[in-house]
Amino acid sequence: METELVTTNKNFFGWFRTKWTEDPLFSTGIAFLIMVILQTLVLGFDYDSVGSWFQSWSNNWINILRNNASTGIVALGMTLVIMTGGIDLAVGSTLVITGAFGMILLDTGTKGILVGMGLTGIPAFIISIILVVLFGYLLGSLIGLTITKGNVPPFIVTLGAMMIFRSLTQHFMQGYNPKVPMEFLEIASFRIGNYMIMPIIYWAIIAYILYYVSKRTVFGRQIIAVGSNEKAARLSGVHVEKVKLRVYALMGLLVSVAALIQVSRIGSMDFSNAGRGMEMDAIAAAVVGGTSMSGGRGFIIGTVFGMLIIAVMNNLLNLFGVPPFLREAFKGVIVIGAVLLQRKEKTS
Amino acid sequence: MIIEMKNIRKSFGSNHVLKDVSFTLKGGDICALLGENGAGKSTLMNILGGVHQLDEGTITIDGRLVKFNTPSQSQQAGIAFIHQELNLINDLPIYENMFLGREPKTKRGRLDLERMMRETEEVFNQMHVDLDPKTMVRDLDASYKQIVEICRAMMMKASVIIMDEPTTSLTEQEIERVFTMMRTLKENHVGIIFISHKLNEVMDVCEKFIVLRDGQLVEAGNVSEVTTDDLARFMVGYDVRTEPLLREKKFGNEVLHVEGLTSTRAFRDISFSIREGEILGVTGLLGDGRSELFQAIFGAEKVSSGKIFLNGKEITIKNTTQAINQGIAYLPRNRKENSIIKDMNIFENAAIVTWPKFSRRGVIRTQDHEADFERQRAALKIKMGKLTDSINSLSGGNQQKVVLAKWLSASPKLLILDNPTQGVDVGAKEDIYDIILKLAEENIAVVVLSSEGQEIIRVCDRALVMYHGVIQGEVTGKEMNQHTIMSLATGGQLT
Repeated sequence: METELVTTNKNFFGWFRTKWTEDPLFSTGIAFLIMVILQTLVLGFDYDSVGSWFQSWSNNWINILRNNASTGIVALGMTLVIMTGGIDLAVGSTLVITGAFGMILLDTGTKGILVGMGLTGIPAFIISIILVVLFGYLLGSLIGLTITKGNVPPFIVTLGAMMIFRSLTQHFMQGYNPKVPMEFLEIASFRIGNYMIMPIIYWAIIAYILYYVSKRTVFGRQIIAVGSNEKAARLSGVHVEKVKLRVYALMGLLVSVAALIQVSRIGSMDFSNAGRGMEMDAIAAAVVGGTSMSGGRGFIIGTVFGMLIIAVMNNLLNLFGVPPFLREAFKGVIVIGAVLLQRKEKTS
Repeated sequence: MIIEMKNIRKSFGSNHVLKDVSFTLKGGDICALLGENGAGKSTLMNILGGVHQLDEGTITIDGRLVKFNTPSQSQQAGIAFIHQELNLINDLPIYENMFLGREPKTKRGRLDLERMMRETEEVFNQMHVDLDPKTMVRDLDASYKQIVEICRAMMMKASVIIMDEPTTSLTEQEIERVFTMMRTLKENHVGIIFISHKLNEVMDVCEKFIVLRDGQLVEAGNVSEVTTDDLARFMVGYDVRTEPLLREKKFGNEVLHVEGLTSTRAFRDISFSIREGEILGVTGLLGDGRSELFQAIFGAEKVSSGKIFLNGKEITIKNTTQAINQGIAYLPRNRKENSIIKDMNIFENAAIVTWPKFSRRGVIRTQDHEADFERQRAALKIKMGKLTDSINSLSGGNQQKVVLAKWLSASPKLLILDNPTQGVDVGAKEDIYDIILKLAEENIAVVVLSSEGQEIIRVCDRALVMYHGVIQGEVTGKEMNQHTIMSLATGGQLT
């Protein structure tokens, strides 16, 4: 095997092939680049000036990025979860329950909790953000505790949590639609130089932090150890349960951030449909980005690329006028294709 | 029946594993295949078993040229390969295991259970095996699992059976059972190739032997004409040292003291202690509970009662992280399963234990850590490429040294080594012994767990012999010899 690699290194195609199969960041990076070029070509150059072309081009990009920021953030957490060898199916429902919690805190209508306590404006915003994030962290920890202390497979725990969280939300909200103060929407729609890019900035910051965490911190490296060989990790003094617990808690926290972005973008939430299928999109982004479903291997930057590849493709299909019902099929092809092209786990 | 392998050559890349090996086996022969790890034994047998294809050379059966591209072709030619990891399904009864992959069906397409049971019974009668075909394989001990595999081979009309270290995990009695079986096979004119590292067994059960070294056949002959020392010399190419490594013993304070330690299953009422600079051996046969005992001391297994004292203070250890903070290190057995993390590179595999030590507020100080590993690498003489190379690019011995390095960088006060020379060749073995002695010089208390009595005798100052979860006896000095250890390990008493 090893010698084969050395000999194929001699020419460019060999080098390219090795790099493609061995380095997921390389392949997803190139796939993303192709997407960017396609996107640019499809948009066309039929503009009055370079300035207006650029205007249209960048607006298109900002739209894509902003629309996918919250799922993108969830996908980052999902990557870490999958790296430990687990899965979180409950992200969509966690999004709804934390979102609903935030909205009921902020509500200016009859049920608003903070308003009822006489709190409005910036202090109320800060308190509700903190509480929502804490709530997400708590729910994640709850999932993590059930997995580690109860020794129940992540798939089962999060499948259950998925049903519980959404059902509880719908029961307690009973079709009530909280009104979020307009000022709160600034969190997502604050303009920087006439661009609405706040969600993108949040996504970028979180991606950078998690990239750093996964590469340089004890916690990040222990995630890989746990996912690759749990027994060896435990026998090397890694507190496996603690690592897993923290990963699920972090996942919950990230989902609550995504929920805040969702709420502040549109000011409302459809509790029965919001976040449905989000877990699958997040998993798809991670997998396209080179994360191994069996754990031990994952790339934060890869997931960002993976998310963008899927997003740009959606946008392209839209521009091409592909019927909406057919778009999911393309997504499916991308996911399977990406994994087909990546390095396979040796089965020896 | 005669099988002849002639001028076999096989390379993996630039690595010439077999260089012109020839050998012949007749029906009714029991032939030992000996050699160190990496000598080419497995490759040679894998070629015969159809797992690997030969580069050059010929295989003939009764003068007919044969070529095996797949294991099933080899099976059809009457060659059965019984691997170390047995090919049995624990959750099926014996009779279904006997027909795995070729289950007979009734006319309606259902499994023909009755026929399976009947034919299993027939083979068992022929081989004088006293087993109920309806028993679940899970409930069999390791020797009976071997026997079931042998019977399966017989059912498929095997004329040659290759047995790859069948006795490594067996007790004395179980080994005898397998040997009886082998003698029955001989009566049925089946040829047996017996791969083993246990030379006494070879003397006991085999008539012929061949020895491979560095991919070449170096010796072949009749077992009756040689001694175990001869065989050992053939294998390594020079005289093997078996005498104890004498050293100046100056023990310090008591490091670990265990009192009445009991777990629900694996061990009970264990009491012993070890001092600074002492090398304590713990040995026994499979199922003696020594690994579980020390994993419990390391916090990886549960204890139901008993006390553990470290440096005179009673401690309770709930998990491995705590154990490491207390200065306890445990190098586990089965390196591939318990030590190696394949998705991480060499350096990370050596670093995992000390990430917390070499970090500030959770962020790893990679430079300091690399410098630390560099020191370990030099001291342990690890042969490796770049720090970022895959851990699988290293030989078994060097992998084990990397694992050792990860524990040494935690600067433990108590170092527990569970089968430290497993899957390590003779040269690296000696290196590891030297390292153990050096660590003891540095006042570390070292516990060596090993199933090889010879290893215990060679490096340890004192040894505990365990039998079914209890300490059967303690041996030192002259008493520490193969014979006493074996008799204690099989349930005997000190005389």
